[in-house]
Amino acid sequence: MENIKDKAAIVGVGYTVQGKVPGRSSMSFHLEAARNAIADAGLKIEDVDGLLMQPPMAAMGDPMVAPAYLSQQLGIRVRFMAAHDDWGASAGCLAQHAAWAVVHGMANYVVCTYGENALSGAGEYGNALNGGIEYGMFGAVAGYALAARRGMHEFGTGPETWKEIAIAQRRWANLNPDARYYQQPMTVEDYYNSRMIVDPFRRADICLVSDGGRAFIVTTAERARDLRHRSVFIMGMGQDHPSTNVPQATHLAGPSGAVVSGATAFKIAGITTDDIDACEIYDCFTYTVELTLMGYGFFGPGEGKDFLKAERLAPGGDFPVNTSGGQLSEAYFQGFTPLAEAIMQLRGDAGERQLGPVTNTREPEIIIVSGNGGVLQTHSTLILRR
Amino acid sequence: MVYEKPLPVINEDNAPYWEYCRSHELRMQKCTDCGYVRFPVSIVCPKCNSMAAEWTPLSGKGRVYSYVVYHMAYHPSYKGDIPYIVAIIQLDEGPRMESNITDCKTEDVRIDMPVEVYFDDVTEDISLPKFRPAA
Repeated sequence: MENIKDKAAIVGVGYTVQGKVPGRSSMSFHLEAARNAIADAGLKIEDVDGLLMQPPMAAMGDPMVAPAYLSQQLGIRVRFMAAHDDWGASAGCLAQHAAWAVVHGMANYVVCTYGENALSGAGEYGNALNGGIEYGMFGAVAGYALAARRGMHEFGTGPETWKEIAIAQRRWANLNPDARYYQQPMTVEDYYNSRMIVDPFRRADICLVSDGGRAFIVTTAERARDLRHRSVFIMGMGQDHPSTNVPQATHLAGPSGAVVSGATAFKIAGITTDDIDACEIYDCFTYTVELTLMGYGFFGPGEGKDFLKAERLAPGGDFPVNTSGGQLSEAYFQGFTPLAEAIMQLRGDAGERQLGPVTNTREPEIIIVSGNGGVLQTHSTLILRR
Repeated sequence: MVYEKPLPVINEDNAPYWEYCRSHELRMQKCTDCGYVRFPVSIVCPKCNSMAAEWTPLSGKGRVYSYVVYHMAYHPSYKGDIPYIVAIIQLDEGPRMESNITDCKTEDVRIDMPVEVYFDDVTEDISLPKFRPAA
């Protein structure tokens, strides 16, 4: 079988206005992100012949966001198209499907999009996910808080460890002008004073809800070399979807989907955890970061509380994690938040927060990116290199 | 008094489960091919994909697998209830289920704590299986 390693590349990233942006449909963010990604890659509209998208999760009363409507409004005619809902794992899964498509000639340039008016629209993330609403079990926070409590029991971690993650990511956000918490620091005191929402989670453990969108473009490694930005190659990829509903899940405190998904990606890339320069980890909750990094093999069960220290994860540290501020402190666009950041860092386009001399960190050659959806029910991994 | 909290969504598949709850019986589907007791309700067994099943009675006894305490009311009807406990119960017969733990201070609940089921008749049609510390 053909090895996919380094055969495909990501060549454009599209951002949109983000944060609280009332009066915009989810569709409008998909479109804005897509056209910005096409422009960023230096492509002409007619070059784009593939389209993959993650439908908005919470959209209600909005124009239906379907691939054909997107392609219609972008004015493109594609020969490879799908809507793909693996929840938070989607961005990584879209990149993988796009990579296989371009390598096998199904399309030359595949645009992958996400957008949602999650903060200002009529939809709600607070609705029941996976059931249990009759017991007052609202929102994704319920399942993750149950997982996190079990993690405290099994690994001896908890708020003491999670504050390190939250504070380190905030320090990265402080360097990112697009971040919700640009120039707004978080102290240890701030973390503990943050309002308890669903014990053991405080507000500071929970991701943002944001209006906006993101998109990226995948093409072959060969075509990528002719485009304007430094190429970011897809070195490794993996997926694992435990799927099981929350109560029956054995993955709440590991082994999570990160274990098989990560191992698959490392095997394809032919590298180990020692080769990773930075991690962009799906951080819907602080605990997700702990569990994912453990699943990838950076530390073992019970070692998280010693490994996860803010000074290591933050600017200047030897183990940079979520360098845009992540979903906790930058913005929440599902798996597109960590993926977009990995691309910007590998291109050297991350400004004040750029890994390397600017932030007194290692120059990034290889970055691992995770996607995660439902309550730890879906997982995708990408290993990217420049 | 009108019950204002969200109720379970009953469909063709889970109607028997809620019917048994209404008569204060906790029953789940047991695969008659491989013997696996499953939850939530499904037309196929997640262990062997058999569609043959019977509604087997459970003891209603179990232990706390994990728990959280809500300090925020995500629905106005829960304003008077916070802080309240949502837990995963490991039932003695194998499956786990989500529910509430009541008759227990929020600071007293622990993982592995023994609990037992009771039924809260919240409406004429719906009785919710909830748990309290085992006697």
